[in-house]
Amino acid sequence: MFRLLIEKELREIIGSTKFAVSFGVCSILILLAFYLGAANYLASVAQYNAARAENLRQLEGLTDWLAVRDYRIFLPPRPLTTLVSGIANDVGRTIEINGRGDLVAHDSRYGDEPIYAIFRFLDLDFVFQIVLSLFAIVFAYDSINGEKERGTLRLTFANAVPKAHYILAKLIGSYAALAVPLLIPLALGSLLLVVMGIPLSSNEWMRLGVIIATGIAYVGVFLTLSILLSSLTQRSSTSFLMLLVIWVMSVIIVPRGAVLLAGRAVSVPTIEENNAKKGKLNAQLWREDREAMTKFQPSSSSDPQRMASEFQKLMQEMADKRDARMKQLSDRLNEERTNAQQVQRGLAFGIARVSPAATFALATTALAGTSLDLEYLFRDAALAYQQAYAGFMFKKTGVNLSRGMIIMRTESGDPEKPKSINANELPVFTYSERGVSEVMQAVLPDIGLLLLYNVLFFAGAFVAFLRYDLR
Amino acid sequence: MLSTIIVKELKNIIVSPKFSATFAVTSLLLLLSVYVGINEYQATTRQYEAATGLVDQRLRETRSWARLSNRVYRVPNPMHVFVAGVNNDIGRTSIIDPTEQVKLTNSTYNDEPIYAAFRFIDFTFIVTIIFSLFAILFTYDAVNGERENGTLQLTFANALPRVHFIAGKFVGLWLGLIVPLLIPIVLSVVLVLAYKIPLAVDHWMSVAAIVLVSLLFCTFFIAFGICISAVTRRSSTSFLFLLVAWIVISFILPRAGVMAAGTLHPVASVAEVEGMREAFAKQIWAKHRDEMQERFRKRADEMQNMTAEERSAYEDEHAWEMMEQEDKARKDILKQIDLLGKKLEEETRNGRRQQEGLALVLSRFSPASAYQLAAMTLAGMNIDVKSAYEDALSAYRASFVTYKEKKEKESGDSGGIRITVDSNTGFKFSMGRESGSLDISEMPRFNASRFSFSGVLASALPDIVLLCAFTFLAFAAAFVAFLRYDVR
Amino acid sequence: MESGQPVFEAIGLTKKYEDETLALDHVSFSVRAGEIFAMLGGNGAGKTTTINLFLNFIEPTEGEARINGIASHKDPLTAKRNVAFVSENVMLYPNFTALQNLDYFSRLGGKTQYSKENYHAVLRRVGLQEEAHTKRLRGFSKGMRQKCGIAIAILKDAPAILLDEPTSGLDPQAGFEFIELLRSLRDDGKSILMSTHDIFRAKEVADVVGIMNRGKLIMQKHAAELAGHDLEELYMKYIAGHIRDAA
Repeated sequence: MFRLLIEKELREIIGSTKFAVSFGVCSILILLAFYLGAANYLASVAQYNAARAENLRQLEGLTDWLAVRDYRIFLPPRPLTTLVSGIANDVGRTIEINGRGDLVAHDSRYGDEPIYAIFRFLDLDFVFQIVLSLFAIVFAYDSINGEKERGTLRLTFANAVPKAHYILAKLIGSYAALAVPLLIPLALGSLLLVVMGIPLSSNEWMRLGVIIATGIAYVGVFLTLSILLSSLTQRSSTSFLMLLVIWVMSVIIVPRGAVLLAGRAVSVPTIEENNAKKGKLNAQLWREDREAMTKFQPSSSSDPQRMASEFQKLMQEMADKRDARMKQLSDRLNEERTNAQQVQRGLAFGIARVSPAATFALATTALAGTSLDLEYLFRDAALAYQQAYAGFMFKKTGVNLSRGMIIMRTESGDPEKPKSINANELPVFTYSERGVSEVMQAVLPDIGLLLLYNVLFFAGAFVAFLRYDLR
Repeated sequence: MLSTIIVKELKNIIVSPKFSATFAVTSLLLLLSVYVGINEYQATTRQYEAATGLVDQRLRETRSWARLSNRVYRVPNPMHVFVAGVNNDIGRTSIIDPTEQVKLTNSTYNDEPIYAAFRFIDFTFIVTIIFSLFAILFTYDAVNGERENGTLQLTFANALPRVHFIAGKFVGLWLGLIVPLLIPIVLSVVLVLAYKIPLAVDHWMSVAAIVLVSLLFCTFFIAFGICISAVTRRSSTSFLFLLVAWIVISFILPRAGVMAAGTLHPVASVAEVEGMREAFAKQIWAKHRDEMQERFRKRADEMQNMTAEERSAYEDEHAWEMMEQEDKARKDILKQIDLLGKKLEEETRNGRRQQEGLALVLSRFSPASAYQLAAMTLAGMNIDVKSAYEDALSAYRASFVTYKEKKEKESGDSGGIRITVDSNTGFKFSMGRESGSLDISEMPRFNASRFSFSGVLASALPDIVLLCAFTFLAFAAAFVAFLRYDVR
Repeated sequence: MESGQPVFEAIGLTKKYEDETLALDHVSFSVRAGEIFAMLGGNGAGKTTTINLFLNFIEPTEGEARINGIASHKDPLTAKRNVAFVSENVMLYPNFTALQNLDYFSRLGGKTQYSKENYHAVLRRVGLQEEAHTKRLRGFSKGMRQKCGIAIAILKDAPAILLDEPTSGLDPQAGFEFIELLRSLRDDGKSILMSTHDIFRAKEVADVVGIMNRGKLIMQKHAAELAGHDLEELYMKYIAGHIRDAA
């Protein structure tokens, strides 16, 4: 009996025009998302390589490591980024490395190419969040009250069918009818990645798998919610309208509203404010140092070599001291800003998680490495790189790099053609994402929440149907 | 006869529970979006004022003409209240300095990525997504629903011309859906007035134009819905079809068009172009350094056989000339780098423009794109904002640099620190002349170009015409389809 | 089935809704095996409420509705195993073919042994044209759907058959054939309870006719008692309240 009910549910959904059309559309969209993501990734890699090559090329012909300026590191494109864009296109991808000082990421994709900002990208996250959830509603909005309208509910329950069996079969059958067909284009899309030669590590494959599973759970939320509302209402037009309103709220309003609300509730010091404070201190330190410089008296005034090196030593000491104080301030300011940001984000996302769409977006972007975490991760990697870079430079030049001062030494005497530096000796910047277990730990609450929504609506639908008026 | 049908349609809409629900939702959303827009605008303005205040303060505190450098912030556009466009995506500020290229950095989303996580709600967004969806909801069964209910047959059992019926249907639905929308729109305007958003006459005209274009967009969906319901027999079919069409029009076509253009017409990234410019700069600086060394050697050679007194006399005599010479060489190089920068910039911009052109052509197959582009353009928030601003900033930079050079010359301040280490004279440290604080009252200020309604209207016109064409086509198709409709 | 045993049995059946409307007021009757009971009455008379009570779609406020001696609200599943149901205007599953609908509902009724041939045979018996058997129900007319509904009830092969306005939507030819079908089912020993507006058909086929009005069974007469009476006239009189008898 139970099997029969599930079987009927499956056959009824799969045999419908509704299913054929929406399955067709979804498949095309999913494949398109994979294809465009892969193409986008390849294009980004080309851009990334070109930028890196140019960056190294500009160092060619330099003869002094001290003359290295404008050395930049770039956030490497990663395949999952193009499947779930998150904030990857909004934050800067380039950081200038000077060996000291603050690091600022520039050149966001949308900033560079605002054409993409107008309509944004078509990615997997979007297909799930907007399109598939809508189709889940279209499938299931009349699953109970529609049967009532067609009279089949009365006919069914004129037989010895327990209500519990029926609703369970309905839930399981709808779930299977929706999820299993979705897996086909998703699997094909993953295959497309392989065919197009996108290199995914096992770590990334695993995360992609979890993204897809999370997507199915998310679609399940709307499916079970639809069945719930369809068993709470008598007319399918009512349940459809209610679901549409909920969908609009969940997908569009709640997430944005939550962020705006948190933005108002928690104030975060702006970059300008911080920069102003830093600029003030910097100016003050410069004034002090300049006085110290003018007061400089070399121990001997006959040996230029010694005078120069003594002066340089002074400069170096001052620069070190200056940098230390600057760093102290900027660390404090950055920390304050980061802390305030964390509070703001905690509040924003806490509220936003009321919406399954937001929960889904948070989970998938975290899995794809395109959540807000990306900004911190890139900055931390850049900080680590900066140290390596400074260490390398110290080894090469014997001085700590200082910023804001170019010492041009012109020596009189025979010019001796110095040897060019080899830019390839520079340490290589590597950006590594968080490990699977770490990411999983971070997204587990969100996935758990999605499952909880599933269970709640499932249980709700179950209870509601047991009390449903079959007439 | 016509009025009977119109009145019936109106009544039918207004008494339906669907109507009260959707009306409440759209009104709420519309007001919310405008409220959010007002808040955002105010916050941006505050931020702008604080930032420019800090820049002014820094300018006042600068002690040396050589170190004078400016920073310009993008002036907040009050149209932001209605249309965000690419405002949050493109940089807010650029440094203005002889040694640096103009480049807008620090976009809102870059600085505060939390807002990028779910993006903003604005008026156009609500219109594109919500209005269109609700227009479909009210029109998908306009014709075939009446057939299913049997009322179509009943209606045409009377002496009623078909043209009257379909025209009445259209007018009735239009009035029933559009007129209620005017209520939240008027309320939003009241909200904007209450919050004293500084909108000039041109802005108001633009707001009016945006409202009209939004209504035109809704009209398209009404006509489209009627059209589809007149070419299908069953309302469930037309509903499914319209839902798919809605997804395709509002989400797929715009994005796919742009992404296809990106693949078909790739352009160099900003980082790559910058790398090229820097490579050139490095090269030319290296050459400069070699030449400079050459010059210094020559000068040293000339002084080879002099006594210490002669030497210092010679140096004193030629110091100014030497400095001039070096300064000129330096400025020449900056100019050359500028020139190359401009050339590269122009090349990439041309490439990008072609790509953008292709992208927009492809995405304009969707009325939703045409609408969004029109609204963004009318609000002065489209992709041209970036290049327009950068052009204006470049022009400003030129005048700023001229001013700075003039002042440097006048004050004889070459800037920088000069340290001379000589076995004869010993250690000499000079800091250039510091004049306490500078009189920057004559410094050219950046003036953002004024918002001109005729300007934005002219650039938005193609999109508006396109939207009209879409609407007209949908309406004509609905008309023709209904004239041939099998009313049984 | 003993012919003396009542299959359908309403004992003091009362339904009062939460809003205090009395939908059914102490209705009692019984239908034996091999007997057709036709309930006549206007809209809102309580016919459908009675059927709903037999199917336990609603619970009685008072009294019991029994099928084969089992009270529906006490053991609904067992009770429902013994009853087949034809509802008014059933749409069935529009995406399934006639055969698929039959197959599903027969299995639901616990009949798994049927072959395709059986389904074809039953559909022929109810008069559905051959070419429609494998078509989806989406394009079916009301009458065709009703025939499928009747076929489903036949296939369940239950001792009791509940019919809610079964002839609505049938053309005269089909209506006539339906009456024949009912007779043959009665001759098979089925107990049939049907609600109808159709006085003419009721008189033609019913062994017992009941007239309901405002929740009360105001008349219950055997066919023999009705012989020679104009049922239509009688009906109007009863409804108007000119005649009252203890039902």
